[in-house]
Amino acid sequence: MKWVTWERVGVDRMACAWLITKYLDPAAEFLFVPTGYKPLPVDAEPFDIPGVRLSHHRGHCTFYTILREYDLHDPVLQHIARVIDEADTVQEVSLEPAAAGLDLICRGLCLVSPDDQAALERGRLIYDALYAQLASELIQEEQGKG
Amino acid sequence: MEQPQAVSWVLLVYKIPREPTASRAQVWRKLKRLGALLLHDAVWVLPATPWTREQFQWLGVEIGELGGEAHLWEARLLLNGQNAELVQQFQARVDVAYQEILEDLLQEEPDLVALSRKYQQVRAQDYFHSELGRQVLKRLLQARGGFAS
Repeated sequence: MKWVTWERVGVDRMACAWLITKYLDPAAEFLFVPTGYKPLPVDAEPFDIPGVRLSHHRGHCTFYTILREYDLHDPVLQHIARVIDEADTVQEVSLEPAAAGLDLICRGLCLVSPDDQAALERGRLIYDALYAQLASELIQEEQGKG
Repeated sequence: MEQPQAVSWVLLVYKIPREPTASRAQVWRKLKRLGALLLHDAVWVLPATPWTREQFQWLGVEIGELGGEAHLWEARLLLNGQNAELVQQFQARVDVAYQEILEDLLQEEPDLVALSRKYQQVRAQDYFHSELGRQVLKRLLQARGGFAS
């Protein structure tokens, strides 16, 4: 199916696109509209746009909302959601040192990409890598407990 | 040194129910954390960048969810000199914080962990790249040891 968001993607939208393609819709097609553009295309699910279902809620990022809306309970994804919460918007409490770096890298990725589509494509590798590393740390942590 | 000038500013005007006070405080603390300036107890201001626009946008959404209402504007100052004055206000505030760090660094056995954390928080609000910030960074690097750069 089609998914739509505002153009000039950042850390949260790159992560969402990765999540959508990997866990919800392998054939996802992403459309981009200018910031604030209306009406949104009717045949596409909007995300990370203020006021839509898949958006920021209660101070949490859109990635977090998608996990909740689609009942994704993988603890590694939950961890990534915490990192993106801190990377994407100002939080009172900072607990994830990776957040600032991730934000910077995603912003830089847009600078070196010809368009949003390319930025999303390239961003996948970053989130695959983040997932793999956090998953391996979780396994170690659990082994340590046992 | 020539001062960097913001060409435009993002303004956030909001109201939020008095109760629960926790919600009010939460929004207030986020604005402080962003380093926004409160003008005349009415308007919160940040220099306009894609990043600050987005921060205010999502904060506006959060205020709405907390039962409040927020308006977000982008504006230029029309009166001569006021732009520079506003830049100056932003700079003065981070400079006070940087100065405190510099003074603490001169103490015997300064708490480098706490000071480096404070430095990172101040730097996140240093929208106009204060010269003092560069000095703090230099001192912190020196305090860390290794090769002087």
